[in-house]
Amino acid sequence: MKANKIPIGPFHPLLEEAEYFELKVEGETVVDIDMEIGWMHRGHEYISEMKTFTQSIYLVERICGICSTSHPLACVHAVEDIDNIEIPLRARYIRTLVGELERIHSHLLWIGLAGHFIGYDTLWMWVWKYREPVLEMFEIISGNRNHYGMMRVGGVAKDVEPEKITELYKHLDMIEKKMVMVANVVRDDPVLRSRLKGVGVLTHEAAVAYCATGPTSRASGVPWDVRRDEPTDAYDLVDFEVIVLPNGDVYDKAVVRVLEVIESCKIIRQCLEKLKTAQGSILNNVKEISPGEGIGRYEAPRGEVFHYIRSDGTNRPIRHKVRAPSFVNIPTFTASCKGIPIADALITLASVDPCYCCTERSLKIIDSSCESRQIDLLKSSREKTERIRREVHGN
Amino acid sequence: MAEIEQFLKDMGGKITNKIEKEKRLYFNVTNDDLQDIADYLFNKMGCRLSTATAMEMYHGIEILYHFSLDKTGQYFCPRVIIKDKKNPKVNSISSIIEGAIWIEREMFDLWGIDFIGHPRMEELLTLHHPGTVKQPLRFREGA
Repeated sequence: MKANKIPIGPFHPLLEEAEYFELKVEGETVVDIDMEIGWMHRGHEYISEMKTFTQSIYLVERICGICSTSHPLACVHAVEDIDNIEIPLRARYIRTLVGELERIHSHLLWIGLAGHFIGYDTLWMWVWKYREPVLEMFEIISGNRNHYGMMRVGGVAKDVEPEKITELYKHLDMIEKKMVMVANVVRDDPVLRSRLKGVGVLTHEAAVAYCATGPTSRASGVPWDVRRDEPTDAYDLVDFEVIVLPNGDVYDKAVVRVLEVIESCKIIRQCLEKLKTAQGSILNNVKEISPGEGIGRYEAPRGEVFHYIRSDGTNRPIRHKVRAPSFVNIPTFTASCKGIPIADALITLASVDPCYCCTERSLKIIDSSCESRQIDLLKSSREKTERIRREVHGN
Repeated sequence: MAEIEQFLKDMGGKITNKIEKEKRLYFNVTNDDLQDIADYLFNKMGCRLSTATAMEMYHGIEILYHFSLDKTGQYFCPRVIIKDKKNPKVNSISSIIEGAIWIEREMFDLWGIDFIGHPRMEELLTLHHPGTVKQPLRFREGA
């Protein structure tokens, strides 16, 4: 059968950011995929070499609107790794608190979008409704709903006062209760299970070969999580479970994220409890950074964020390497998309959480000529869900 | 740590300039030994390749690989120094680690390092850039 190409992007309603995917299809089956990136390249690594260490934290905070804690945290970890800088106990809990709030809001964003893509708009709207109080918690802590400006080399910029803790508890109680409900919905709904089980499987071997990280690899049975494996901040002082599932399909990726949200709630509760009693400074005064090199990483919602910094003893890095988790997770599409129907391509591409919003249409080019017709990936995905719903519920 | 001791026992003859810090092991390897080291770290020890960092230094172009042994949180960082700055070449490890394909393409793109044996040696980030500046992170006189 003659293979056709379906281009998605680089500027497409499916993609929140500019990326280009080219699906090669035979009939309804995807037989190959190619990806191109680079439309969002902004030269952060180069710019960072012209900034002081403190300015670099603000710079990397703006790499990603969702991971605006993960990059600064990995950045300060890298600088602190050069000189083995100690962090005050209270600052460690605050860092962990902010990091876990970010995990909740990022995972909720993904769960909502995933629901939207498969035709579960109710799930989308409910989950995003419960994401709102998380942003309010950020506002209480930092004064901002995004780009919190909390991280500093040697600690954090702002304290969490006792009156704020009481307010944060109120939001957390509500979020935790609702997240248990969402987890039950995702795991118990027969249509969701039928729609997502066995779709876009990333095998354990492929996850290891592509060096995938985060929920993408943990849903394929790869048990690594930086928070546990190289604990920084307060992660060695709190109890939590690393969620690992074996099947590598979209369903397991969704369940990993939902259960991680509940674990994050547990971590936040422990941090708030400790912040009631852990007194002292929130920032060690770091006057200079020695010549040397340091590695910093943090388990962002999408996986390991990696920063490498080399210092020559001045107040600026001479090299600042940044690797975001999507950089290693996106290439796994090569393994997970082959052999799947077009109707599953959308949710499979979404399953690694590569920052996109929603899809409407793509242009189908036959043999690279100008002959084309409109197809609707979102419609195709939703129609499959509807077919399954009718089979399950019989109407 | 037992893993470091075993690594040094098996591969010690191929490494120089070892710098050991808490959970970090930096060392130099030659281009000829790079694939053996990568194979040992990835396939025998079960390390994950986090990424690789290229740097232009006075003495040449450095490539620092970051292998994470996740079960212990230990990093193994082999460093290859390419002295020929005008025509930098190094052996590709993408035949050993598929995850290295994009990592090496990025270094080819931004630093102009040619990875010998790479299946698709073309730009990753600047492929569609309208400008003509090649290898934007290389040092340029007066830039």
